[in-house]
Amino acid sequence: MTDITLGPVTPVAEGHVRRSDPAEPPITQKSLNQDLLKLISVPGPIWWSIFLLDLTILAIGVIAERNQIVHGIGVAGHTRPVMWASYVANFVFWVGIAHCGTLVSAILFLFRSHFRRAVYRVAEAMTVFGVLTAALFPIVHLGRPWFAYWLFPFPTQRQLWPNFRSPLEWDVFAVNTYLTVSTIFFIVGIIPDAAAARDRTKNPFMRLIFTAASFGWRGGNNQWKHFYSAYLYFAAFATPLVLSVHSVVSWDFAMAQVPGWHSTIFAPYFVAGAIFSGVAMVINLLIPIRFGFKLQHIVTLDHMEKLSKLVLLTSTIVGYSYLVEFFCAWYGPSKYERDLFWWRATGHFAWAFWIMFSCNVIIPLLLWFKGVRRNMAVLFVLCLFVNVGMWFERFVIIVTSLARPFEPMTWGINYRMSWTEAAILAGSFAWFFMFFLIFIRVLPAFSVAEIKETLAPPRRKEAA
Amino acid sequence: MIQRLGAIIDKLLDGKPETYRGVMGVYYYVDDVAEAVRTLRQVGYKNLSVYSPVPYHEIEAALEQGPSIVRWVTFGGATLGLTGGFALCFYASVSYPLVVGGKELLSLPPFVVIGYESMILLGSLANLLGMLALARLPQVKAKVPYDRRFSEDRIGIWVPCDRDAAPRVEQMLRGHGAEEVTVHA
Repeated sequence: MTDITLGPVTPVAEGHVRRSDPAEPPITQKSLNQDLLKLISVPGPIWWSIFLLDLTILAIGVIAERNQIVHGIGVAGHTRPVMWASYVANFVFWVGIAHCGTLVSAILFLFRSHFRRAVYRVAEAMTVFGVLTAALFPIVHLGRPWFAYWLFPFPTQRQLWPNFRSPLEWDVFAVNTYLTVSTIFFIVGIIPDAAAARDRTKNPFMRLIFTAASFGWRGGNNQWKHFYSAYLYFAAFATPLVLSVHSVVSWDFAMAQVPGWHSTIFAPYFVAGAIFSGVAMVINLLIPIRFGFKLQHIVTLDHMEKLSKLVLLTSTIVGYSYLVEFFCAWYGPSKYERDLFWWRATGHFAWAFWIMFSCNVIIPLLLWFKGVRRNMAVLFVLCLFVNVGMWFERFVIIVTSLARPFEPMTWGINYRMSWTEAAILAGSFAWFFMFFLIFIRVLPAFSVAEIKETLAPPRRKEAA
Repeated sequence: MIQRLGAIIDKLLDGKPETYRGVMGVYYYVDDVAEAVRTLRQVGYKNLSVYSPVPYHEIEAALEQGPSIVRWVTFGGATLGLTGGFALCFYASVSYPLVVGGKELLSLPPFVVIGYESMILLGSLANLLGMLALARLPQVKAKVPYDRRFSEDRIGIWVPCDRDAAPRVEQMLRGHGAEEVTVHA
């Protein structure tokens, strides 16, 4: 309970934690309320400019989707045999982005890694908005999106049910469970902080919102007891869930006998890749927030360095998986598999493969240097590269495998992304950031209660 | 118009005053609270509540709180989810028998994914509902004279008692370092 995660600070009497520089005021429970809840305020012109730009990009994406609905799925660049392409890549990318939140909030909670306290709310929000974005793509990819509800099991007069043996149906269950559980986890975590915001605000409308978000929380001993017990079980559920969701997503591919997909390494490989891109995205979100709201004393360089070490660790797992895939193709009996992997690295889509490999394996090697891990500008750019690389990873897996199937007659036909697909991809980023921009100004973006737990409890004995 | 609406919201959210009977002590130091709780419990006030911005183990120990029973609710939900997930797959396979590739109708391995995900879904929902019910949430109006500082840096001890006992309780709270004591009796 008294672990110090607030950077270069020293516990002193009266429950304060003081920074190394004596000229700066000490961090107290009261100052944390002020520092962390100040994000909830009327946004300034910078926020509005970013928000309007975001809405403009979203509008372009919506128009592209409208065109696709009106003119049919043919406006996307799908060409037989590449009938899965950027939409499925986007789906896997956004589900992957969503994985970091649960890693930080649940897995690190179970491991008692207290550095998570300063960053987990941002990661959890990213999870919820990431899954909301991912969930769009199976619908966007449908030729008749208005029949998306057929994916769910419900009784009809024809007694038709979805095929529970299909990995695509597993995906419906996995992704919807993940969306529900991560949203519950997110909402429950906000309860005590929303109560702190409710008690601070004087605006009756904001008070109504925070009363609803806090469920009328008062911080009684009975409430804390059940809250922490439930939180532990949420973490216990979310941990196997996060591992299962991306495994199930990977089985969308691995269960098919397509060269480049039919591999047992896919589940751990996808989970590591998901955490890799998710942590990189959290870093990309946290760096501007801590800079813009002057929270460097709460989200410290140590926190950022720990996150960047996670990026480095998962980068090595992803790099290992890439190499193992090539080894298995070379060592295994399938000449189609061998041919595909050779073609992946040297054929029509070699540029995409090498973008993927450079961004995900070579560039993250810079994180072995402490100077890079603690330089926020360099780290920000590096994590952008990781996200670009991880999008291309999904593109390479999906498109190159489909473009080089067992039938050589189809080998010359290659997929080319259409403007509709590009606009919908850009729109998906705008959709994600729209939620995120609203979130940081409306709800507590940092866990006030959990960060307070890092301070030494105020004790009269020590004060005396 | 907006001001009137704001006034209505304030009226809705603020509890009716003085509907509760007891004494509220406001503290800053955790060890003072733990000591006060121990003393009050020793003289028979077992039904007291402590309000704090974060949970403190010292206070939990002084209150001698047992473990939460929310785990049993969660377990029930998870069990229901697991069996329900498998039951759905079995029923769907049997009600519309469609043999594909000569494979078993009731093929367990693919149903594990559905059962597993349903277990987590219903377990989590039960966990949420159990927690809300046991913690008496949602709660629009406070059931005690709540102080806004309890979500900031102060700790409150609420001792339900009648008018005759209030002076003694007040004296005990002050004796253990309460910054403020208010009597609602």
